[in-house]
Amino acid sequence: MPLTGLQVFKLLPNTNCRECGYPTCLAFAMKLAAGKESLEKCPYASPEACAALGAASAPPIRGVTIGRGPRAITVGEETVFFRHEKTFVRRPGLFRVLNPASDRDTLLDSWRALRIDRAGETFQVDGVAIPESPGSPDDAAAAAERGFPVALLAATPQGASAMAERIKDHRPLLVPPPGADLGAYAGLAARLGVPLVVSGADLNALATAAMDATRAGVADILLEPPGADLCGLHHNLSGIRRCALDRIHPGLGHPVFLRIAAGEFEKAVLGITKFASLLAIEDHGGETWLPLWTLRQNIYTDPQKPLQMQPGVYSIGEPDAKSPLLVTTNFSLTYFIVSTELEATGLACHLAVVDAEGLSVLTAWSAGKFSGDRVAKSLRAMQATERVSHRTAIIPGYVSVISGELEDALGDGWRVLVGPQEASDIAPFLRDVWETVFR
Amino acid sequence: MSLELKPKRWAGAIREVTLGSGSRRPVTVGGGNGLPLHTFEASFPHRPVFALEITDVAPPRWIDTVRQPWNGVLGQPAAAARRAVDEFGADLVMLHLMGTHPDRGNRSPDDAAADVRAVLESVRVPLIVKGPGAGPKQNDVLARVAEECQGEGLVLHSACQEEYKTLAAVAVAYGHVLVAESPIDMNIAKQLNILLSDASMDLRHTLIDPLTGGLGYGLEYTYSVMERIRLAALGGDAMLSSPMICLVGEEAWKAKEVKVSGGVHWEVATALTLIEAGAEVLVLRHPEALARLRKQVDCWFGGETCR
Repeated sequence: MPLTGLQVFKLLPNTNCRECGYPTCLAFAMKLAAGKESLEKCPYASPEACAALGAASAPPIRGVTIGRGPRAITVGEETVFFRHEKTFVRRPGLFRVLNPASDRDTLLDSWRALRIDRAGETFQVDGVAIPESPGSPDDAAAAAERGFPVALLAATPQGASAMAERIKDHRPLLVPPPGADLGAYAGLAARLGVPLVVSGADLNALATAAMDATRAGVADILLEPPGADLCGLHHNLSGIRRCALDRIHPGLGHPVFLRIAAGEFEKAVLGITKFASLLAIEDHGGETWLPLWTLRQNIYTDPQKPLQMQPGVYSIGEPDAKSPLLVTTNFSLTYFIVSTELEATGLACHLAVVDAEGLSVLTAWSAGKFSGDRVAKSLRAMQATERVSHRTAIIPGYVSVISGELEDALGDGWRVLVGPQEASDIAPFLRDVWETVFR
Repeated sequence: MSLELKPKRWAGAIREVTLGSGSRRPVTVGGGNGLPLHTFEASFPHRPVFALEITDVAPPRWIDTVRQPWNGVLGQPAAAARRAVDEFGADLVMLHLMGTHPDRGNRSPDDAAADVRAVLESVRVPLIVKGPGAGPKQNDVLARVAEECQGEGLVLHSACQEEYKTLAAVAVAYGHVLVAESPIDMNIAKQLNILLSDASMDLRHTLIDPLTGGLGYGLEYTYSVMERIRLAALGGDAMLSSPMICLVGEEAWKAKEVKVSGGVHWEVATALTLIEAGAEVLVLRHPEALARLRKQVDCWFGGETCR
């Protein structure tokens, strides 16, 4: 629980020595309570004061790392209920459930190789969840050897132990069956030093289970909330986040784990948007992954830093030297809208995406990031000017004002054609202006 | 240590708005006094409702997956409306008068009025009518439709900050509901509602369209602006307390990702996320998306598909 200014004041020596730079201890305490100063500036702070302030500034939701090496994933450490208040920080891990399969190794290799680039982020299989079976220790080892963080979906304490012992150096997540007696699992997790999932029939039971696990020596805990349907689950997910942020119960200050059975796409959507940190997803078709990754990308984008495209020349269809060359900014939304409209025209073209620090066209221009000089430099740097023989660049209608400056800066007989203001008018523009005037 | 979640109480509530009147079976949305879907701590007299989108002419840009359920009735509004309601269970129908757009057929306001009349005769649910978009044609078409369908409580989509006076006047004169559209911007949403109030529009007959970004195409902007609008409304800002409508189908099916597969997932993910942010009227294109979403919404609000 954050301390108030007066609570902090009581922890200070109250000598008003001014060595911290403030006229009184009370003034310093107020700054400390607001998180705007550090206790290190007080040379006379007692160890008790340091401990109390340290505990108060601990994150409301603990961070937990699963796996080792480059693919290890850390979840938790969230500080807000609504993403616009600041941002959500730790993208939830989307683990794929590996059921016993004869072609296990081929499957795992293909999962490891999977990489999908979208708007500056690479989607991949974040980890593998292994349900207990006679062969599951081998399955777990096969996944861990390939570098995947592993969640062990145990059915019995013996099975859990066999799997966890086998890959204990890879820091797996131990997941007991929901409602299981925690004792044996907590003992195992504490002994091996691996993270543990706890469950409970309601929030109270869940919080108690987490406290029990802590007392048993488990350092890293995830919570598996109950929820027979989305309504119940939503209630619990919202309750956990609220209790954690308001520090109502220390047992709820942990990240959340969810199992998503085959066909439970809507549950996964709810989990990603509403505060789940790790989802073990069973999936037969493979169609569910792209929408879920994309949803996570959207929800976990920092509202203050828009998604950006890598600047460069993007091909729409198979353009050649006679195809039109269009210029836009690297704000990903702008890129998506423009490229979608271009694809719909069925006309091959070059789309030059200029680095405007992720701003949309008009904003970039007003901020001086989309001036004629800057655009010209960028076009040359990405060799867009060498892609076409017609020496014509089409710019967005909103920045018609830069056309003269851009023509001058490009030189070499280049000319600038002002396109439409709205992407939806690109098709008629290309048809009426480009096709008739330039063909 | 026992733990009780204290219900969050708010100063404001969402305004109740009734869609449809006259020969329509009316549908009321809004009235909630807490965060969206927080049924555990607030009361919600009405649940989110689902409309299916139909068109006056065969839609040129719909992909096969979403055309397929409408085979045989695309571009036939009366028959499509019957299928939407009788077969697919839509709460409302949205007739998109895309064929009145100057670039897409340039059909006349009288043609549009005839189409709307035909749909009103084929189904009893409330009707959302979407005009061709910005420009003078929008007002010509929607004003003619509003006059033709006096007293039916149509939902006219939409008025914007730059162009609202004509539509506010016809909505008031002929007894319709007006959608106030803003470009993912809370300040403009508020400003437009103030302007509509000043134009003697009773806000009990308006909805906010915050402008939908589909999954992967700006969904997060819409999501956050809707959360902020909802929080402002619950905080007591009457100029932002209208229920919100989202045109999910047209945005979700625009994504290039749906051209391969998984389009219904794309539409469901977009819609469910926006319901969490406070959407109460969702306009969809695929009946399977509607069925899946209905089943989930029933979990919160009770109903026959709830398991």
